[in-house]
Order: sequence, then C-alpha cells, then structure tokens
Amino acid sequence: MNGILATFRRELHGYFVSPMAYVVLAAFLLINGWVFTLILGELSGPQGPPLGSPMQLLFSNVFLYLLIFPGVCIVITMRLLSAERRSGTIEVLMTSPITELQVVLGKYCAALAFYTFLWVPTLLYAVILQSYDAVDWGPVAAGYLGLLGIGAFFLAVGTFASSLTRSQIVAAVTALAAYFFLLLLPTLMEPSVIDPGGRAVLEHLNLWNHLSEMSRGIVDTRHLVYYLTGTVFFLFLSARVLAANKWR
Amino acid sequence: MIEALNLHRQYGDFVAVHGMTFSVQEGEILGILGPNGAGKTTTLRMLTGFLPPSEGRVTLDGEDLFHGSKPAAVRRNIGYLPENVALYPEMRVEEYLTYRARLEELPRGIARQSIAETLQSCLLGSVRRQLIGTLSKGYRQRVGLAAAILHRPRVLVLDEPTVGLDPKQIIAIRELIRELGRRSTLILSTHILPEVELLCDRVLIIDRGTLIDQGTPADLRRRWMAGREVRVVLEGAAPDAESALTQVPGVSSVRPSPAVAGGWVVECEDGTDPRADIFRQVVARGWVLVELAEQQASLEEVFVRLTTQDRAVGEVLTEGEA
Repeated sequence: MNGILATFRRELHGYFVSPMAYVVLAAFLLINGWVFTLILGELSGPQGPPLGSPMQLLFSNVFLYLLIFPGVCIVITMRLLSAERRSGTIEVLMTSPITELQVVLGKYCAALAFYTFLWVPTLLYAVILQSYDAVDWGPVAAGYLGLLGIGAFFLAVGTFASSLTRSQIVAAVTALAAYFFLLLLPTLMEPSVIDPGGRAVLEHLNLWNHLSEMSRGIVDTRHLVYYLTGTVFFLFLSARVLAANKWR
Repeated sequence: MIEALNLHRQYGDFVAVHGMTFSVQEGEILGILGPNGAGKTTTLRMLTGFLPPSEGRVTLDGEDLFHGSKPAAVRRNIGYLPENVALYPEMRVEEYLTYRARLEELPRGIARQSIAETLQSCLLGSVRRQLIGTLSKGYRQRVGLAAAILHRPRVLVLDEPTVGLDPKQIIAIRELIRELGRRSTLILSTHILPEVELLCDRVLIIDRGTLIDQGTPADLRRRWMAGREVRVVLEGAAPDAESALTQVPGVSSVRPSPAVAGGWVVECEDGTDPRADIFRQVVARGWVLVELAEQQASLEEVFVRLTTQDRAVGEVLTEGEA
C-alpha cells in the first residue's frame, strides 16, 4: 500500500511540475469552453425540435469522443511507464520492495486523479446554467459518472500502451489506434452484423451510446461493468508486461 | 550470505553470463573486475533482483531472490546504485530521497532521521533543495548513493560508482564507499584496477561472461605473477653489470630496464630474496648503487594476463610499468 502511495505521489507531483499539466489543462478548457458556447448558440437559435439540455450535449458531442478522450488520455498516460524504462529509473523501482502491480496501480491512480482534476472546472458550466434556469443535477451527476468510467477505461488502455515500449511516441500511437478501435469498431461493424444477439453485443460496446444515455440520467450498470473489467484487465496486463520485460 | 549458483543469462542469442558460481560473505567488500562488456552489470543486476537469471539461482540468507515466497521482501535487504544513475530531474534532492524512503516503506520518523543523516554523510546538505536536473555528475552520483543507503541495506551493490567523475570527486566517493564498507556488505564492479586494490577484500575477475579467478588482491598477485622482481639502478655505465648480477645466487634472469638509464630488472627464483647478495656484489665491484627495490606486480598486470589472449600485449604493458 505504501509503495502504491509513493509512486502515486511522485507521479502526481511529476504532472504538476512539468509544463505539460498546464498546457493540457488550458487546451482542455479552451476546447470545452468553445464547444459549450457552440451548444448554447445552437440551443438559443430559432429552430425546431429540442436537442437536449446543454450539459447533456456537452457530455455526448463529437469533439468529446474524437478529440478530448483520445487526446487527453494519450497525453496523460504515454510517458507513464515508457519514460521510466527509457531513463532507467525503472531499475530503481524494480529493485525496491514493491511489486510490478503496485507500480502500475500507483501510476494509474495518479493519471486518473489528474484526469478527474481536468473535469472539475467544467462544473462551472452547470453553475452558470443554474443562474438562468433550474439544472436537473441527477443527469449531470450521471454524465460525470460516465466520463469518469470511460476515462478510467481509456487511461488503463493508455497505461498498457505505455508499458509496451520505451518510446513515448510509440506508446501514444498504439494508444490512439486502440482508442479508435474501441470507439469506432462497434459503429463500423453494425451494418454487417445481422444476428440480433451480435447486434445487441455491439450496442453494448458502443461507447457513443453510453454517454448520451447516462447524460439523460439512465445509468446502466452493464456499462459500468464494461469499463471496470476493461480497466482491471489492462492494468493487470501492464503489470504482466513490466514483469515480462525483465526476461528479455 | 549471498550465494550465486551457476548463473546464466542470455539476451536473445547473446550469452552475457555463463555458468558463474560464487558467494559473498557477510561484511566483506567484494570487487567484480572485468573489461567492458564482460558481464559485470548483468551479474550485478541478477544479484539485486532486477534481472532474473536464465538459469541458476541467487539466494540471500537462503531466500531465493526471484522464485522465493516473498521476493519483494528479500529485496529490502539490498541497496543498489545502477551504472547510469537514473534520477528524476524535476525533483529536488530531498523530495527524491523522501520518495525513495517511501518506496522502501520506512516509517515516517525513521525516514526523516535517515534522510537527514544520509544528506550529511553523502555531503549533500548544500544542495538538498536543488533540482536534481541542475546537479553536476558528481552530485548526482552521490544522490544515487544516498538513495541506495537510505534504508540501511545489509548488502550494498554499486555498479561502477566512480565512472565519469573527476579525480577529486573520485576520491570523495571512494572515501564514502570505504566508510559504507564498514557498515554493510559491499559488492562493487569496476574496470579501474587501483580502485579494487584500494577498496576490496576479495576480487572476482570475469571476462566474456565467465568467472576466471577469485581471491584477495594479494592472492591473485601471488598466483599469477610467479617470482618477484627487483629493480637495480647503478650510477654511471657498468658494462658487465648484466653478467655480474646473473651470477648472484637466486637470480634467474636479468634484463635492462626500459624506464631508467643504468637500470636493470632482476627476476628472482621462487622463494628467494637476493637483495642482500645483490648489494654485496655491487659493492664488491665498486659500483655505486642508486636504487634497489622490490617491484610489486600490480593487479593490473594480473588482470591483463588473465583477460588478454595475446600475451604480447601483456608483456608490453608489464615492461611499460617497469
């Protein structure tokens, strides 16, 4: 436990003393702020059928999936383990009385904490909306839960990509490929699957649907189980890769 | 206390270490000596629990370092300074040591005390608030060393601790190492020979992944440099000096010393000390003796003989020393 805490603290400290954290935070808020204004503009326009609440749109827009999730998760995780291997500091970790899994967990938790920290300022949007009209906080909370779940899953995938190589760039590209696979494959495969059972599976794997459902206040535990098992699976795999690296 | 049994290590097809068996006693300072690429780092990495051997095993007090019940707990006994001291440049010295103390799971009070003591003994007090990235190589080496000894390990493993330092820093680090050698068992690798003679109780000589010989520096000298050599320097030209010296009992051969004019290198038969007889001979001839000294074969010569296939190179070096 202490070992996890030690790596967690060091990693979190590492985020905030590098300019990276501030660049990511600024870019993240810029994009989200811009998207939020677009949403408000669209909603206050004259056209017909209601699209949903502003927060709902914020949690299920195309920028979120194609820019924010992949971009943020890659930047947060790409150096997590690869940098340790490149610089040789991994040698210190592996000769300390700490297991591979503890190293992975400590670092992953730091990544998750930083990711969560990024989303905190967006609560202000809801507060701003509140001053104009009553905000239904239930769906907002469910939406954030979804963001946290998908983020946790993607960060685990990124951690795994980072464990595979010494190069941050290779880790980033691997993670990017994995994210697009996870995000787009269910949609791309949908037309070619006729079997209703198969379609149902694809439906469940389709992350695009998850967040729009959650931001409407529908929390489907199957989705949460999907994120959780995915997270556990990839973290376990990362620890195995770290252990296996010794043998090469 | 440490037993290495038939260690093998392969990287793909390349065999880095091949069938190495040795043990390390509690409290001794063991040097691992070998040319670059001999397998020193690989051997040390196996001793620290970083690199599992392809075959064979390492035990510390009978506990296997890799396949035991609690390998992480066994590693707590070991402190390790890797060859390229890898640190986090964005951390301050004190922060880094705190981090390492936490990794070693030292209780907070003990950690604070140990960090303070270590900062002092490693002469890091003046840079404790400085970013590691801004430190010189010598300081970084000391930070690495400080981090390795924080948890008071019973065994300290140092991989080329003085490489890349300037002479002043080398002396400082060596003093520190000697000090540490009093507190714990110490294993250090180097390709610098005087270092071994200066610091180590016992030496393993390795080359191309195999253990060639082991023993105290004196043992190795005795074993590999048969017969002692005496240097004789005479004033002025003494034309028949060579034949005169050869006649002295106990002398096996005489050759001119390349280093000094009028100097001779006298090789002696085993177990004899002809220095007194040489003196009498010189006096009897009426020559003036400027120097009469036993030449200690350096470990360097032993090392070169052991690790150089080409004997000629070894001899050239030996001559150069004379």
